[in-house]
Amino acid sequence: MTAKREGTKEIHPLAEIDQVIHAPARLMILTYLYVVENADFIFLMRMTKLTWGNLSTHLSKLESAGYVAVEKTFKGKRPQTIIYLTEQGRMALRHYKNNLMQVLDELPD
Amino acid sequence: MLLNTFSLKEAERKVFRTTLLDGLWDIFIGAFFLQFGIAPLLSSRLGDFWSSAVFLPFWFFLLLLIWWAKKSVVVPRLGSVKFSATRRARLSKFTFIMLGINIISLIVGFFFALQSDLTLGLFHSAALGFMVLLLSSIAAHFLECGRFFIYGCLFFLSIWVGEWLFIQYKIPHHGFPITFGISAGIIILTGLTLFIRMLRQYPLPETESQPKDSSYDR
Repeated sequence: MTAKREGTKEIHPLAEIDQVIHAPARLMILTYLYVVENADFIFLMRMTKLTWGNLSTHLSKLESAGYVAVEKTFKGKRPQTIIYLTEQGRMALRHYKNNLMQVLDELPD
Repeated sequence: MLLNTFSLKEAERKVFRTTLLDGLWDIFIGAFFLQFGIAPLLSSRLGDFWSSAVFLPFWFFLLLLIWWAKKSVVVPRLGSVKFSATRRARLSKFTFIMLGINIISLIVGFFFALQSDLTLGLFHSAALGFMVLLLSSIAAHFLECGRFFIYGCLFFLSIWVGEWLFIQYKIPHHGFPITFGISAGIIILTGLTLFIRMLRQYPLPETESQPKDSSYDR
């Protein structure tokens, strides 16, 4: 019982890692959105090299978590999807980075 | 993979570099070099002022063409992005520095032009070449585009070698049609190669209203 409790304590920072962000594709999307004010769907697709379907699935998950906001507009006659990081998403990414660094720092050489 | 992906600085740089991926500004710079090659050929007929002024409608047309190509060819393929406030501040700083140097150069150039006995010579050509090299180095630094520095070197070489050819071998028009012609060819070819590579690498995606495999129905 004590050993189990010790184990739980050790993996505590790992257990706190946000699973929504932890997927490489979603982490990539959030990283790109973190460094810009906003980007459209095609731009994110080009940067992340994800397919249309994959990107939309991941964006849906991020939007459900409240990490990104999506706006549908028109640029001339062309439909355009603008995506930006919400304040919640920005904070979650910072928190994720701190957690991950804590875990990696404690890793023995 | 995870840690590579999480380099925010590199991600921001990668995003910014997409603006110069299409080679359109390279074509514009190449055209600027070309003017230096062609204007001396026209100066005997039109005079110094008009041999340069005659290019103004061409510049207007070229800028219009670049704007159209960015809007209709590049953006539908690469998408669009609004840069962060930090990057926009850096770009504003770049614009002000370039504007400042250009104004100072104009004033210095004006005073030099007032001297009636002025000939270009190796020293003046080197000074002018260095000025453009300085501008191109600043552009290369702020726009994080190393090839702009190479274009500055090409300008320096074109003006200096041209003048040297004129002094040594009496090549007409200061040798500029040859030296600037070659440099313009190299730069325009680079721009065209980048543009064609962009067209091949990024074909038009499915329209957002009818994506092939989209599960993003809203």
